[in-house]
Amino acid sequence: MFFIDRKGVVAMQAEQQYSFQIVKWFAYMAVVYLVVGTGIGVYIASELAWPVLNFDNPYISFGRLRPLHTNAVIFAFGGSTLMATAYYIVQRTSGVRLWSDKLAWFTFWGWNLVIVSAVITLPLGITQSKEYAELEWPIDILIAVVWLAYSFNFIMTLATRKVSHIYVANWFFLAMMIMITYLHVVNSLSIPVELFKSYSIYSGVQDAMIQWWWGHNAVGFFLTAGFLGIMYYFVPKQANRPIYSYRLSVIHFWALTFGYVWLGAHHLQYTALPDWTGSLGAAISLAMIIPSWGGAINGMFTLSGAWDKLRTDYILRFLIVSLAFYAMSTFEGPVMAAKTVNALSHYTDWTIGHVHAGALGWVAMVSIGAIYHMVERLWGTTIWSVKLVNLHFWMATIGTVVYITAMWVSGIMQGLMWRAYDDYGNLAYTFVESVAQMHPYYAMRAAGGLIFFLGACVMLFNVTVTIRKAIADSSAKSAATANAVI
Amino acid sequence: MTKLQEYFHTEWSAMTGTDWFGLVLTVVVFLVIFVAYVWVLNPKNKEEIESHRTMLLDENDIESEK
Repeated sequence: MFFIDRKGVVAMQAEQQYSFQIVKWFAYMAVVYLVVGTGIGVYIASELAWPVLNFDNPYISFGRLRPLHTNAVIFAFGGSTLMATAYYIVQRTSGVRLWSDKLAWFTFWGWNLVIVSAVITLPLGITQSKEYAELEWPIDILIAVVWLAYSFNFIMTLATRKVSHIYVANWFFLAMMIMITYLHVVNSLSIPVELFKSYSIYSGVQDAMIQWWWGHNAVGFFLTAGFLGIMYYFVPKQANRPIYSYRLSVIHFWALTFGYVWLGAHHLQYTALPDWTGSLGAAISLAMIIPSWGGAINGMFTLSGAWDKLRTDYILRFLIVSLAFYAMSTFEGPVMAAKTVNALSHYTDWTIGHVHAGALGWVAMVSIGAIYHMVERLWGTTIWSVKLVNLHFWMATIGTVVYITAMWVSGIMQGLMWRAYDDYGNLAYTFVESVAQMHPYYAMRAAGGLIFFLGACVMLFNVTVTIRKAIADSSAKSAATANAVI
Repeated sequence: MTKLQEYFHTEWSAMTGTDWFGLVLTVVVFLVIFVAYVWVLNPKNKEEIESHRTMLLDENDIESEK
């Protein structure tokens, strides 16, 4: 006679108690989009190192594939992760099912339609040319509708919760939902002239300011607040320890929410923007080190008295190392915002290195840890190969370090070459000389990205086999149980 | 006028409605944040706030590790 093991039973009970089917789909698609997004990233990094890879084909040229890469990793991978985790956390911490399963499935298909639209339009060169907001106006409207449906479902689930307190992770998700709605709508305001052509309602320096108000807050709220919600749930759960300080989490939340909206102007130092605006952006950026480090310390200290878990728990390693990268990049960012440093770093590869320290080291690592955690619980099983999770951890860490080190060196070299003068006040180097000097670092960056990408492929394989095995085991046990009853 | 005074000099008559709205909103939000910090950091409220620390571990756990 066969028995369904305890993990299988609890997964079935969970499925009945909560709406986990939608979480499963978003979680799996997040892994697929991680592979796709980083794969495109490796290709365009290779195009910069070896331009022959453009093949004189406009559809796969760097200029068109670069926004596809950023949209794929931020909105396809990041967005799917945020939707999976928000739907998972709000149900678990509220003790209720999602308010509407239908609305949740609408967000799944709607979000994937947005991604498919990006895959079609961006290589065709259909773009608004606004960074991280390239998609044309009909797709922008679809994003707004889907995002509002996602936010409304989340808020209504909270409204019907069975516990009085709203756990802090949900606060971070709420801040993200409210601010991204506001930022996306305001930044995307445009006058359509054709089905796939529109012009921003802003012009000149106002357009630049609105764009970077959106740009930095996409980082601050989409890629930070939402993922901090993930951190505040999954670190304590995986470590099986209470969060180090709840008071610190409350302060972290309010300081981050109040502070982040001021930072955008630091992207526009030494431009037509009034000087004081950039100074204000830099000053608040430096002040943001305090809450950011407070949050990182809060997550790390959650392991106080249980650091030994890091020796054996590879999922926890992903989560804790992500916090180290979060602390590092939230120190580096404010330093780069300061005008003196910005004069050297702006427009160089240092910025690309900084972004990827946050994107690969923080956002991707914390997401990967959360997804591994959820896969085991959603399918009521254990991961197929812990060795492959360990391999993935080292590939992700080494790939990230190689990538950002290459960009630091090339970025600082670029900055120094561009500002070097000879005795007569002429530029010491032509621009193309600086480009030639970048080649070894661009090759190194492509190698770092490739290592990270291969790690993502290992994850997709491991997660797919785990899920298939869990489904097969569940079907076999159900059939055996039915036979035994007969 | 000292350099510092010059730096912070504001032409109040040139403030538009939008400027005033932004200024008032910012000051109000700053005050609300300040009050929130005082409340959070007040030792009297420590026990109440920190009681939520274990919320995740206390939740109706459906997992096998418990």
